Amino acid sequence: MKPHRFLSPYLFVAPALVVFAFAILTPFVMTGYYSLTEWNGYGDMIFVGLRNYIDAVHDTVFQTSFINVIVYILLTLVVEVLVGLLLAGLVLTVRRGSIWFRVAIFTPVMLPMVVVAVLWSFVYNPDYGLLNAALTELGLESWTRVWLGDEHTALLAICLVSGWIYAGFYMTIFYAALRQVPSEVIEAARLDGGGEWDILWRIRVPLIRNAIEVAVLLCVTGGFQSFDLFYVMTNGGPFHATEIPTTYLVQSVFRTGEVGYGSAMAVILTAVVVTMGLLLAALRRTTGREGRTRRRPLANAKEAVW
Amino acid sequence: MVSVAVRVRIIRPLVLTALALLALAYIVPLIWMVLSSFKTNTAIFSTPFALPTHIDLTRWATAWDIGNLGRYALNSILITTVSVLAILGVSSAAAFAFSRYRFRGSGLMLGLLSLGLILPLQSYFIAQSTMFTDLELTDTYWALIIPYTAMGVPLATYLLKVYLDALPEELFEAARIDGAGDLRIYAMLALPLLKPGLATVAVFSALSCWNEFLLALLYIQDDALRTIPTGLLAFSTRYVTDYSLLFAALSIITLPMIAIYVVFNRQITEGITAGSLK
Amino acid sequence: MNRNRIAATTLTLAGAMTLILTGCSTGGSGGDKILRIAMGSPGEAQIAVWNSVADQFKKANPEWSVELNFQNDDLYETIGLPNLLNGRKAPDIYFEWVGKRLQQRTADGFAADLTEQVTRSPLAGVLDPVHYKAATVDGKIRMVPRIADVSNVIWYNTDLLAAHGVTPPKTWEDLLLACDTLNAAGIVPIASGNKDLWAAGNWLGHLVSRVVGAEVYNRALDAKSSFDTPEWKKAFGYITALRQHGCVNESANAIDDNAGAQLFFQQKAAMHATGSWLVSWAITEAPDLNFDYVNLPAMPAEVDTGSVEGVITGYVINAKSSPHKGAKAAEFLALLYTPENTAAFIAADAVPLNATPSAGINERTIRLRSLLAEAPVVISPADTGFDPKVASAFYRALAEILGGRTSAEDAATQLAKQVR
Repeated sequence: MKPHRFLSPYLFVAPALVVFAFAILTPFVMTGYYSLTEWNGYGDMIFVGLRNYIDAVHDTVFQTSFINVIVYILLTLVVEVLVGLLLAGLVLTVRRGSIWFRVAIFTPVMLPMVVVAVLWSFVYNPDYGLLNAALTELGLESWTRVWLGDEHTALLAICLVSGWIYAGFYMTIFYAALRQVPSEVIEAARLDGGGEWDILWRIRVPLIRNAIEVAVLLCVTGGFQSFDLFYVMTNGGPFHATEIPTTYLVQSVFRTGEVGYGSAMAVILTAVVVTMGLLLAALRRTTGREGRTRRRPLANAKEAVW
Repeated sequence: MVSVAVRVRIIRPLVLTALALLALAYIVPLIWMVLSSFKTNTAIFSTPFALPTHIDLTRWATAWDIGNLGRYALNSILITTVSVLAILGVSSAAAFAFSRYRFRGSGLMLGLLSLGLILPLQSYFIAQSTMFTDLELTDTYWALIIPYTAMGVPLATYLLKVYLDALPEELFEAARIDGAGDLRIYAMLALPLLKPGLATVAVFSALSCWNEFLLALLYIQDDALRTIPTGLLAFSTRYVTDYSLLFAALSIITLPMIAIYVVFNRQITEGITAGSLK
Repeated sequence: MNRNRIAATTLTLAGAMTLILTGCSTGGSGGDKILRIAMGSPGEAQIAVWNSVADQFKKANPEWSVELNFQNDDLYETIGLPNLLNGRKAPDIYFEWVGKRLQQRTADGFAADLTEQVTRSPLAGVLDPVHYKAATVDGKIRMVPRIADVSNVIWYNTDLLAAHGVTPPKTWEDLLLACDTLNAAGIVPIASGNKDLWAAGNWLGHLVSRVVGAEVYNRALDAKSSFDTPEWKKAFGYITALRQHGCVNESANAIDDNAGAQLFFQQKAAMHATGSWLVSWAITEAPDLNFDYVNLPAMPAEVDTGSVEGVITGYVINAKSSPHKGAKAAEFLALLYTPENTAAFIAADAVPLNATPSAGINERTIRLRSLLAEAPVVISPADTGFDPKVASAFYRALAEILGGRTSAEDAATQLAKQVR
């Protein structure tokens, strides 16, 4: 369609571009600039070239924070995506009556993360928390731990909470995708004598590959950006055992006032997230082109929005 | 065939029980939180799994009074409503132009906007915060509304554009032949047709604004302007030792949200999943 | 709902929102007759008193208004105040700690020279001149001191100690013995909530300062001498001993200071190492608790016998405020010290320096004040007295030793590397 007035399309687009350019693009470019300086946020800005980047790469805490977030992502791929997939498969076998389960398990996604974090901090509380109390009551006193204060368990404890929140979310995605699988395909497999479990893994899961790929992508890129749960539950402690890039750079910028250094870390993190995202997306596209004949409506819709 | 039927008869109850148990793992902590708000600190510590001796709502009233919870909720409602309306308005207009018009630079502008789909918050919030401090935007509602809108626009525009792209061109040509101007076509034709898309966008934008934490933590120090996530955090650090009060506050915020969710669960689930599958 | 109605509702809503928003975000304009005061949030009770002082000020100066900015404590202590001072709405009066922080403000040109002003009306006579000693930087008074807190003593539960035949520890050996006895009885000897590092940091910093001496302590924290020395390693070794005797709750590094205090209030722990602010807190949280304190027990071969760790805080007038604002700021500060307001602050659990011992002040608070006043040596806690980066590395090292993560030797070596 041709615009009635020449300027019209520009006027329609302008508000979106202005607000985006103001609040995201400009600060994005400025963060890049800050990363080349030494600056405390208010005093003189000293240009230092790439020194912040060199420091960041050699900063053991920053390195640890990356290892931690990668461990976190790998574990959440299991407790969120894989568990979500299993649950979706289970729910599918009962279908009727599963609505209450689906509602219950999705609830944590709705709640402010702070509520979940505070609640779980109490569960993990070493002195009067529920977990230790339950273990003691079951006679497993030797199993009690300072869950969030022990370097060996803190990250794991947070991953579990993360799983508690998001398994329902991924289940919902997979459940929706699984229901799109044409019933003739399933019927045919059943007639061939396949068990339900077999059908799930051999037939259904390959057919919802697209949804799984999206979920993995979400889990990975989202994982790099997590903050709330870590900030409220441990804020990086004990001894940096749960330090992730975002908690560390928030600490550097907003506590010790190292704006330049924090910006450099932010740029590195951004580069990693964007590369990961593009890489995974590219991977999907190439594998997607090779010999996949059937395209399901849901998959198409998602492909389109990507 | 018989064997399948038998297997189903055995497996189904098993699976149902497993699911029910799992659902309990989700509901019990929340119920526990609500019940604990009726107990004293000592009771929570010494007999954490016991039921409260009596239901007394005075703790809830106290939490509401001293916790500023009404204020936080109001702020959240205000900021979320304005941001969502802004996202809907701004992105539907942009999506309309990108989808229905061919104009110079549209590819570039769309490309710029879709940067917003891949840039993480971490890539810009540091400079954004110094910018907002310089512009004296911090500690105003705008400090959250502006970034929330900006963060929501790229995805919303993209989704709405997909919706619009699917509409037949003839519809718009017909309106044009009837003499409708650009604004009229957008407002009277495109917007109504977009309603389901707008609803989806509204749901996931609302939820992400409602629960946003990092920017709210950094830009709002004034207690009177805090939103629910940071307000609750402030509350929990202030009353960390008074667990029944803390749980009362958490319950006050949580229960209405769960109620809304249970009623609208289908729409909400669909909205969120659609929003995440960008 | 038909389309028009939706559009109308949306418009009305949007209009209403805009109104509310603009209503809320204005303010701040209105010229130069605003006195801005910034501090970390002192809690509801004291905020009420501050508001009432502001009202008194406005009554006396009808054309003036007062903006009180109570920031989150942690934020204020770190990046909050510098941001405010450099912003366009810089405070005219702000809360500060004596020591490195006050020196830094002075060096940056944010602390007005009050040497003359405190001898003139309205500030003349509000405080005994001896109190200005701590607030003097390079011979010039830079702050009106307000409160002196002892930041570390060992609080104990009188009944619990008595029940287990433990006397309040006066020496290091007493303390270790007490820990062993209490541990055997299944009671946490000393509660600490060190998630934010300052809680045990204050205490253990005091402990090691006794061993190395205030002079070495000050020099090392000023980054003028190394931590990688035998005396520091020896001092850190005492923390390892604390750990070996199970003196501190296992959760120390996992819970915050509030939760740590809760262990003491709930009588799960017999002792708690923290500052004088515990008094009012304990009285409200645990009214039935019988508690008292001893100063940090004497360390073997300590250099500073009976040193006290304390902080003095007060209010600085911004040197960059215009002269007429500076004068008004002095007027406001003087108001804080009137007998009525002093009494109101005491009632809100803030006992200012000018308060004379009276019935309204808790007896333990009075004793703590004399402890500080009569101390042979006063040392500053690392986090308020020294460079924040050095302090944070120091506290982290202490936490790692306490948590058994790093040996005393390694901690000293690593710390020296970080501070250099």
